[in-house]
Amino acid sequence: MLEVHRINKRFSSGGIFKKNYITAVDDVSFSINRGETLGLVGESGCGKTTVGKLVLRLIEPTSGKIIFDGVDVTKLRKKELRKLRPRMQMIFQDPDSSLDPRMKIGDSIAEPFRLRGGLSRRVVGERVSDLVETVGLSPEHVNRYPYQMSGGQNQRVVLARALAANPDFVVADEPTSGLDVSVQAQLLNLMNGVKSDLALTIMFITHDLEVVRYMSDRVAVMYGGKILEVGDTEYLFDHAEHPYTRELLAQQSAEDYYVPEDDVNNGDGGCVFCSRCPFAEEVCKNKEPVMVNIGRDHQVLCHRV
Amino acid sequence: MSHLEISNLRVRFPTDDGVVRVTNGVDLDIEEGENLGLIGESGSGKTVLGMAIVRLLPGDAKIEGTIRFNGRDLLSLNEAEMRSIRGREIVMILQNPTNSLNPVLTIGSQIEEAVRLHSELDKERAKKKVVELLEEVGIRSAARRAKEYPHQFSGGMKERAMIAMALASDPSLIIADEPTKGLDVTIKRRVVKLIKEVTKTKSMLFITHDLGSAAEICDRIAVMYAGEILEIAGTEDLLNDPLHPYTKGFLDSLPSRGLKPIPGMGPSLIDLPSGCKFHPRCDRAMKLCKREDPPMIQKENGRRVRCFQYA
Repeated sequence: MLEVHRINKRFSSGGIFKKNYITAVDDVSFSINRGETLGLVGESGCGKTTVGKLVLRLIEPTSGKIIFDGVDVTKLRKKELRKLRPRMQMIFQDPDSSLDPRMKIGDSIAEPFRLRGGLSRRVVGERVSDLVETVGLSPEHVNRYPYQMSGGQNQRVVLARALAANPDFVVADEPTSGLDVSVQAQLLNLMNGVKSDLALTIMFITHDLEVVRYMSDRVAVMYGGKILEVGDTEYLFDHAEHPYTRELLAQQSAEDYYVPEDDVNNGDGGCVFCSRCPFAEEVCKNKEPVMVNIGRDHQVLCHRV
Repeated sequence: MSHLEISNLRVRFPTDDGVVRVTNGVDLDIEEGENLGLIGESGSGKTVLGMAIVRLLPGDAKIEGTIRFNGRDLLSLNEAEMRSIRGREIVMILQNPTNSLNPVLTIGSQIEEAVRLHSELDKERAKKKVVELLEEVGIRSAARRAKEYPHQFSGGMKERAMIAMALASDPSLIIADEPTKGLDVTIKRRVVKLIKEVTKTKSMLFITHDLGSAAEICDRIAVMYAGEILEIAGTEDLLNDPLHPYTKGFLDSLPSRGLKPIPGMGPSLIDLPSGCKFHPRCDRAMKLCKREDPPMIQKENGRRVRCFQYA
């Protein structure tokens, strides 16, 4: 469904005379199969949201290829891209800022239909009611404004609007991070249900390993702009190889955890994780590791394996 | 005498749509040196409860009940008396450090302000104290970092700076309102560890919806729902053997415990359900629950639960 091949994204900052570059995404490759959910986990600033935006080409990659259903998205012109857009949707972190505060819920959900055109008002109305039901809202919510709804309800609206475009592929960027646990549980269950009903392919971005375990078929672990480990979710949780993945897992479960004190990425040469890695050796500081295949669908970026 | 003793606290806000009943008869006490966790979902009234203690609620709030701090009723104090307690003996660590820090002042000068407000130190000594405080909360090269601005600090470091500021007056009671909100797992762990460390000799009300952090820091945990305390118990007891159906549902909805949601939504604080506030979502609700308010029932180990099942 989606194949990402060696994408990079550098952001520039600084003045006219001296430009600084920040590499947000560094040579990242992965693929997502049709009907699969890939979880992308990492801490804030690791570049996971940037990957999500790149995949949908909401921002332009510095280099690399993104193939969506056989089409190289990075090469498309604006017009062609616009045609493809409805098939790829994104759900953002903060539902309150994803919705127009002056637009009624029903109008927000109807907007994708209106943009497509060719549907009568009655049909649009019916579709909207169907979607409202699908995401577990009640019909009276249609006439409300976002401020009259809770965060969890608004995130359902955002989901309904994403589904209105009839997408094949959805990027969900921390869709539940601002929500309460019981609301989060409702929404994640809903997303799983919708995913299997509509045969969606999902890229699920989060920093919560427990959530990713529940939501994804495969997991990619990101750190410092790089993917450090990819594998089948259940397998990876039991057989993590990369020290960073292990550290994350240990923090999630153990009472007594190792708390790393140094989280500075080293920019030039060497492994991105080496300054924080308890097993770092000389080679880790000098030579960049390459992705190694160590089993069925399990890849690790580490000198030690 | 408890260090802090809240009894029958009611906070209401009159609005155009009706009266918003945010806390409905809250009884809580914190012993000297105890860390009490207050967990609940958004809108359960936990932040308002924290704000009520330091008397920082907006002027239109209607407050009833008593809040005794070392035996003195805070609600009966005038503003000048309150000012001698707030920020000195009781300090609050607010959520979202980015909004709590002044972006145009250096971190050091903001902490220095807190230091000098509560002590007679001269400028030189206050500056030294600032560096000591920053070191205490684990900021390296503290003297240099003190000269930096909030935007040069990461989220976790800003939270540390907030904690340093809270410690400036050496308070005996800290009210921490979601200090770990929005932080990454790793950073959250570090901040939690730090809070645990610096509150060893202090009392604390730790307000959060993150049960993991509360479990690590708190001696006891109170569960709040729709402005009421539904259950209060020692941390171990609460986690291993929750009594109230809401506490059970809350625990079950955690990703690590199966992600089973509680059906329905929290009630509107304007139009609260009759009887037990949780009964419309409770799978064990009886007729009685709809009709009458359940009383707080005493159980073994000093546990208390507000549910007819245990009557």
